[in-house]
Amino acid sequence: MGKQVTEMLKGTLEGIVLAILSGRPAYGYEITAWLRDQGFSDIAEGTVYALLVRIEQRGLVDVEKVPSEKGPPRKVYSLNAQGREHLEEFWRTWSFLTERLEQLREGGN
Amino acid sequence: MATESNEQKSRYRQYLEMVTGPLEDKRRYRQYKARTEQLPASYHTAIDALQRYMMFFGPGKADSLLAMLEDLADLFEQSAANGTPIRAVVGEDPVEFAEAFLRNYPEGQWISRERERLANAIDRVTDDKS
Repeated sequence: MGKQVTEMLKGTLEGIVLAILSGRPAYGYEITAWLRDQGFSDIAEGTVYALLVRIEQRGLVDVEKVPSEKGPPRKVYSLNAQGREHLEEFWRTWSFLTERLEQLREGGN
Repeated sequence: MATESNEQKSRYRQYLEMVTGPLEDKRRYRQYKARTEQLPASYHTAIDALQRYMMFFGPGKADSLLAMLEDLADLFEQSAANGTPIRAVVGEDPVEFAEAFLRNYPEGQWISRERERLANAIDRVTDDKS
């Protein structure tokens, strides 16, 4: 995957992860696996984890420790009310950005 | 993140810790080291290298530093258990990963103080106090 998509992904990863979690609770490994399946093959597990730590610190998700059959207990993240609000804001910003970029592409700025 | 109970410390313990620093911190650090030693050899080497880097740039406060190391150990234990290769954990650029990770623990980082100082200096000469 090119450098450009990695750079663009950086700015949107938080919104993407919140959007994934709005569907259902998930743990870190599941989120990374899903992203890789979708073609973001360069995404590092640690990058997703650092982001999960951050959104937990900012109170956007609730965390539950669930025992796992292999290895240590897993932290399962679910979106809370504050996270949902944050996600709505992300989509509004996203719409704004894509609209403007589309205008630029069509040369009608 | 385990926090010690707020039980009243004995006077002896209080004086001792003036010299040694909090004993809970040492216990937490030993616990973290013991966890890293349980990891497969290559994961252990990788986490040691990350720890070395993060100690240079990381939080100066013990509590924040230990929270960071414990979170790092969580990641490596999970990854080892899932069989995620180290390259897939830290990515193509381990420095970038380390920096992204470090930004979650700004408390007591000398670089945070310098960033604040820079922002304040510019605020003072621009009237933009917002």
